[in-house]
Amino acid sequence: MSSIEFILYLVINTAVVLLVAPLFMSLLKKVKAKTQGRQGPPLLQTYYMIAKLFQKEAICSPNSSWIMRVAPYMNMAAILIAALFVPLVFVPGSVGGIGNIILFLYLLTLGRFFMALGGLDAGSAFGGMGSSREMSIAAIIEPTTIIVFAALAFAFKSLNIFDMVFASAATSVLATPTLILIAISLFIILIVETGQVPVDNPETHLELTMIHEGMYLEQSGRNLALMELSSAVKFTLLMALITNLIFPIGIALTLTVAGIMIAVVLFVIKASVLTVIIGLFESSIAKTRFFQLPNLFTMAFFFSTLIIIIEVFT
Amino acid sequence: MLIPLIAGHRDRNVIRTASLSLTILASALMAVPAIAILLGGDPVAITAYAPAGLFSIGFFIDKLAAFFILIIAVVSACIALYSIEYVKHMEGESRRNLFCGCMNLFIFAMVLVVASANTIAFFLFWELMAASSFLLVMYEYDGRGTARAGIFYFVMTHLSTLFVLFGIILLWVETGSFAIASLTGAPTLMVTLAFLSLFLGFSIKGGIIPFHKWLPYAHPASPTPISALMSAVMLKIAVYGLIRFLITVFSPELWWGILILVFGTISGVLGVIYALKEHNIKAMLAYSSIENIGIIFMGIGLFVILSAADLPLLATIALLGALFHSLNHAIFKSLLFLTAGSVIKATHTRNIEQMGGLIHRMPKTAGLFFVGSLGVAAIPPLNGFASELLILIAFFTSVTEVEPLVKVLLFVCLALFAMTSALTTSCFVKAFGTVFLGMPRSARGENAHEVKALMLIGPGILAVACVFLGLFALQIIVWAGFSVPMPDMLLVGLLLILMLVLTYVALYFTSPRTIRVSDTWGCGAPSQKAGSEYTAHGFSQPLFMIFSSLYRTQITNDREFYDEPRAIFKSGTAEIRLLKVFEEYIYLPIAMQFRRLATTIARIQNGCLDTYVLYVFITVIALLVFLGWSV
Repeated sequence: MSSIEFILYLVINTAVVLLVAPLFMSLLKKVKAKTQGRQGPPLLQTYYMIAKLFQKEAICSPNSSWIMRVAPYMNMAAILIAALFVPLVFVPGSVGGIGNIILFLYLLTLGRFFMALGGLDAGSAFGGMGSSREMSIAAIIEPTTIIVFAALAFAFKSLNIFDMVFASAATSVLATPTLILIAISLFIILIVETGQVPVDNPETHLELTMIHEGMYLEQSGRNLALMELSSAVKFTLLMALITNLIFPIGIALTLTVAGIMIAVVLFVIKASVLTVIIGLFESSIAKTRFFQLPNLFTMAFFFSTLIIIIEVFT
Repeated sequence: MLIPLIAGHRDRNVIRTASLSLTILASALMAVPAIAILLGGDPVAITAYAPAGLFSIGFFIDKLAAFFILIIAVVSACIALYSIEYVKHMEGESRRNLFCGCMNLFIFAMVLVVASANTIAFFLFWELMAASSFLLVMYEYDGRGTARAGIFYFVMTHLSTLFVLFGIILLWVETGSFAIASLTGAPTLMVTLAFLSLFLGFSIKGGIIPFHKWLPYAHPASPTPISALMSAVMLKIAVYGLIRFLITVFSPELWWGILILVFGTISGVLGVIYALKEHNIKAMLAYSSIENIGIIFMGIGLFVILSAADLPLLATIALLGALFHSLNHAIFKSLLFLTAGSVIKATHTRNIEQMGGLIHRMPKTAGLFFVGSLGVAAIPPLNGFASELLILIAFFTSVTEVEPLVKVLLFVCLALFAMTSALTTSCFVKAFGTVFLGMPRSARGENAHEVKALMLIGPGILAVACVFLGLFALQIIVWAGFSVPMPDMLLVGLLLILMLVLTYVALYFTSPRTIRVSDTWGCGAPSQKAGSEYTAHGFSQPLFMIFSSLYRTQITNDREFYDEPRAIFKSGTAEIRLLKVFEEYIYLPIAMQFRRLATTIARIQNGCLDTYVLYVFITVIALLVFLGWSV
């Protein structure tokens, strides 16, 4: 029974995340455009773009090897597995440790590892620059991430995201002060991990200022589509982590068609609200200089540690 | 059980291949009983030589010893396989036989250290291990820097021996026996001193910062199989020593655990930060070893803290993590050293800035190095991740259990551990990217060729072990009789394959399958030059800037001007120098003190025969007086 339920969960969760992920990317662009007084792209623009890229052939440099050809697939697969760790609309019982929060973090690293090597493969200076910056940022945000995750494990007395969401959905009290503080930290992690302002500017068209996009500057056609899609999925699932832990209203605890439908609609609404918040946040601040970032991260780190200390001594 | 081994290892007269084949055979013979003991067989005890009551040399192999023997066996067999081909290309006709013999003696000594039943045997074989490895480090004795590396290694390894000996003597004073047996009662001052002394000895041998400096000197200087053996296995002997004494002899206190944890954390973070700036491939791997030993020590420290806090279940997870990481590190690090050796052999340089593009010229070696990188960077579902996961689980779970102040310490160590892990990923992206990807950065990289089959099979076995130990981590631990709350890596692996297949199939049917090959865009330049590639220095520059206070760079800037307001520049020098902090602030001052002391003592040694005869005479008189006194 539980294995059938789990397989259904795999299908539903993957399908939902793939279907809704591009929406939020367009929405984010739209919000930013609106604040700048522009019209912005239509909400379905990212879907069109990915569909168009899938129809194009891939171009590879003669210097490149299998790494560049495999990287998009590995990255996509890693992010898709990571997506299984965050229940979007339905919480099943955990099977074989799926949902372990440490494994979740390291699956994101798996994707990043291949992406960074893909950036170095063609021998282009911009790719290397992107890889170098991305890996550096990932390294210095890691202490904050692990502290926040440890705080989550501490608050929910479990290592499993499924258990956490379940516990959060089961309690009547909406958001405890600790959870709100953790949510702020998770928000910072979301901004850093997905390369948003003030860390990275996804809107930039100048290769020298790119971080995340720089790594797959050499990718094209369907491989580029995979990279774009995986970035969108990563963005969605980090948002899902925040919304479903802090504001788990509507998430289905049992498997019924109606329950899932409601959960999907509610999730899209919740995530859209969060996307708008992120968009407004990004529009209100400027991109930080790269070497100023450590200061920002140190602040985030001490903020997260503070939460822990409050938790520990109360 | 050990007798065929001795025969196999001591045989120096047969040709090298036979000798190395015997090593493989002996390793295989050794692995079988080790696995049997691990799976619940009875411990084996042998008394080899007992001339007098107290001074006996005996062997005792329980699960812990069997586990470490297994590590030695697996790694030695693969390294021996690799060496059969590697030795053919080594310089020094007459020395090569000796090299094989010494290597076997080295492996043999390590096995005996692990198998020792009492402290005398432990110490004797510890010294044998130190001496044989010193000879091996000095193989290329005429090479640039080898002598310096050798001396450094010799001094440090004997400091380690000295502290181990001191610890053993203190234990003997306390108990009056040389047996490795448990002490009763709360630790006295003597026992605490013994622990500190042993800890210091094992830390020096294990390359814990700040006692690490011999590693990045000795590893590049020695031949590849020896670097691999030292890094993958010899450091583990230090880990074994620490675990053995902690579990069997002492009943550790909380602060011992904190001490081990803090030293482990410092080594972990600083090890990888130094690895990042290193562009000599072997020195980089040596620093990475320091980092991994740091992680193992963190596991051990956590084990002690949790044992002292009376949480045996969590303590077991931490210890399992440390032990499993010892095995995993032995495997991926020997894999990395061996493949790095192949690369060095093909390009005749150790500087990764001169390599590049090797994935096209040495595709198999590249693949093997890639697996090793995934392992060391703790990428799931490989083995490096599996063991780090165990330690992380112990961290995550224990923070809810222990007392508040220890909690804060654990959180800080956890954060630094996470950073270590992420920096390692960055370090090995850089290493793999610079060595194998892009275009050749020099003619040396351009003329490289793939190595012979045997130099691929040895590392190949290790690569398979990397994947196997990662995927079946949970099953292996359950098989060994433990239960841990760890995710099933096999499921993760299967899901990974499933997702890859699904993505591939989805794209196969929806998009065109052609790949066009076209030049990388070079900003409008007609052809892309290797010079425009991102270099290893460039890659680590952001982290270099961020951690600049840790690297202690010294920037000197002298300028001369023609005029008084300092406007018209005449000439000047600017220099950025990397301070070798530990060497310049710790090692050299201590060494200088000793040198001063030695110069004073050297006055006694004036080289005249009559003076020495006088010394002998005085000694004899003194002895006579002393003996007469005591009788």
